[in-house]
Amino acid sequence: MSLNTGQSLTVSGQDLTKNGSSSSRAPWEDARTVLKPSTPTRKPKPPKPENAITIAVSARVLFTMEKEQQIYEQQGMEDYIKYQVEHETEPFSPGPAFSFVKALEAVNAQLRELYPESEELFDVVLMTNNHANVGLRLINTINHHQLFIERFCMTGGNSPIGYLKAYHANLYLSADPIKVREALEEGIAAATMFTPEKMTEVSETQLRVAFDGDAVLFSDESERIYKAHGLDKFFEHEKAHENKPLDHGPLKCFLEALGKLQKKFYAKGQRMDCPIRTYLVTARSAASSGTRALKTLRSWGLEIDEALFLAGAPKGPMLEKIRPHIFFDDQMFHVEGAAEMGTVACHVPYGIAQRVTKRGIWDKETSSAPK
Amino acid sequence: MVSTVQNTDVKQKDSDHAVVVAVASRAVFEPGGGDGVYAEGVAFPLLQALQKVNERLLEENSAESLLFDIVLITTDSQQQSSQLISSTKHYGLEVSRFCFSTEEDFIESLLKNNVQLFLSTDRNEVSQTSQKGVLSALLDEYTASCPSEQLRVLLCGDTVIRPDTNPTPASRQAAQSFSAQLGKMRQRFGMSDSPLSITLMTSCGGRDSCGGALQTLRSLGISADEAYCLAGAPQGPILSVLRPHFLLSDGFSGLED
Repeated sequence: MSLNTGQSLTVSGQDLTKNGSSSSRAPWEDARTVLKPSTPTRKPKPPKPENAITIAVSARVLFTMEKEQQIYEQQGMEDYIKYQVEHETEPFSPGPAFSFVKALEAVNAQLRELYPESEELFDVVLMTNNHANVGLRLINTINHHQLFIERFCMTGGNSPIGYLKAYHANLYLSADPIKVREALEEGIAAATMFTPEKMTEVSETQLRVAFDGDAVLFSDESERIYKAHGLDKFFEHEKAHENKPLDHGPLKCFLEALGKLQKKFYAKGQRMDCPIRTYLVTARSAASSGTRALKTLRSWGLEIDEALFLAGAPKGPMLEKIRPHIFFDDQMFHVEGAAEMGTVACHVPYGIAQRVTKRGIWDKETSSAPK
Repeated sequence: MVSTVQNTDVKQKDSDHAVVVAVASRAVFEPGGGDGVYAEGVAFPLLQALQKVNERLLEENSAESLLFDIVLITTDSQQQSSQLISSTKHYGLEVSRFCFSTEEDFIESLLKNNVQLFLSTDRNEVSQTSQKGVLSALLDEYTASCPSEQLRVLLCGDTVIRPDTNPTPASRQAAQSFSAQLGKMRQRFGMSDSPLSITLMTSCGGRDSCGGALQTLRSLGISADEAYCLAGAPQGPILSVLRPHFLLSDGFSGLED
């Protein structure tokens, strides 16, 4: 199947959604005689991993599996699998990463319209520790929600790290902090995703991604100074080194990947209403330490759409206004604060802030349950 | 001329229930061992893994008859029969019998011995054997780096990996019945800590083709441990993480061929 014929089926984002379901047949398909009958004609072909921006998500963040998780923890693996198979035709409900994935697909639809030949797209891979026994339920759920996920790895308990590398994963989201740390150690951008009590509504057409600055986009070098010598020293240091770019942090490359796609929209005149919008939400202050952050981004050739310098104020309310699909921070205090106000917040367990985390949250998440 | 010699060091398996696996001797042993004994070949970890499965099956049930029955087969006259026997005993391999055959008659030997799976490092041997309806799989240098504690079998759910073979109904049948046996063996163990791991991979199709393959496996009584749907992504990087001992590629598709 040539890429062209696949793309000509895509008239608008809506049609793509319909195409995602395996039971619908659009009127133009009956006229198609050129393609082999076994070739899937309805769905666009997934891009090659080296061309795409690959987002790997675990099952527990893409969908809600609370009940099943409980069964696993209380009754063990055999009962868990039995339950999953018995409920195979019941789709899972959306989890915290769901709206993020939907937004990625919306961006893809718009990119395909503007650049039908290009493989520079998002590619979402389901990366789960689950046994293949749970596979049919997961596939049924993907079909039910009409998601565009065609690639998955169900590792049956083995580590996902090798597969993340095999897919050149640009970002890995999981509920398991241990796997996330492992991924970060291997140089893969990763974050632990938490489920907010309530999720505020987010845009279906514009992907919004918010980042903390230090120890997320930037290294933790300045945070170390703050922790060791206090706030005043931190401000002094940042002012003095204003023109020296900070070292990069674990999510810098992901911001870069988003920027690459943004430029494709700009090239087609879509700067003001770009389907991707990025935010820096930092405790730095505009008056003093913020300049170094902005100059660092500029030195990297990266743009950020909105920079919000909170000078230490809580991030929750600001995020509630922005409504990002996802927010990355290295400090659990901010992750929790954001989640309390309905933002899907992810923890990046990197840098100096990890030495002083509260024990409680870690214990809840360190089970080796399938994700 | 074909001759079969039993290995007196090893208890013979119940031929009605055992799963006969023949491994080409050149995959198991290589020249250069010294002291009249061959050196370990690429299939060594594979043999050890097969033995591990047998060991664990007997631990679960000492009267178990669904075991691997390992046959060492020569497919040419390059290796010496006496040295093959002495090397096998030297390494304590659980080989039940030896089939000494040549290029001309080794397939006949496989058929006579009811072999359900033939493993070799020689592409031609594997191809010829498949054509005759005996399930066969190719081993290569990667096989040497596979684990010896767990047998890892990869079932390919769509497009055949080896383009030079055409899946015949007979070979599809052979693949399905061998895999069904594996499926039965797998059921003897729990979800975790199994000495046998069955992996399904679909390389070209999307999630529905993988879903179809999972259902086909289920209808054959096979419960896969792991599943990978590549949807066109390159297989190499995934295979090098998966490290299966061998791949079986016919008969698991959920789609009509």
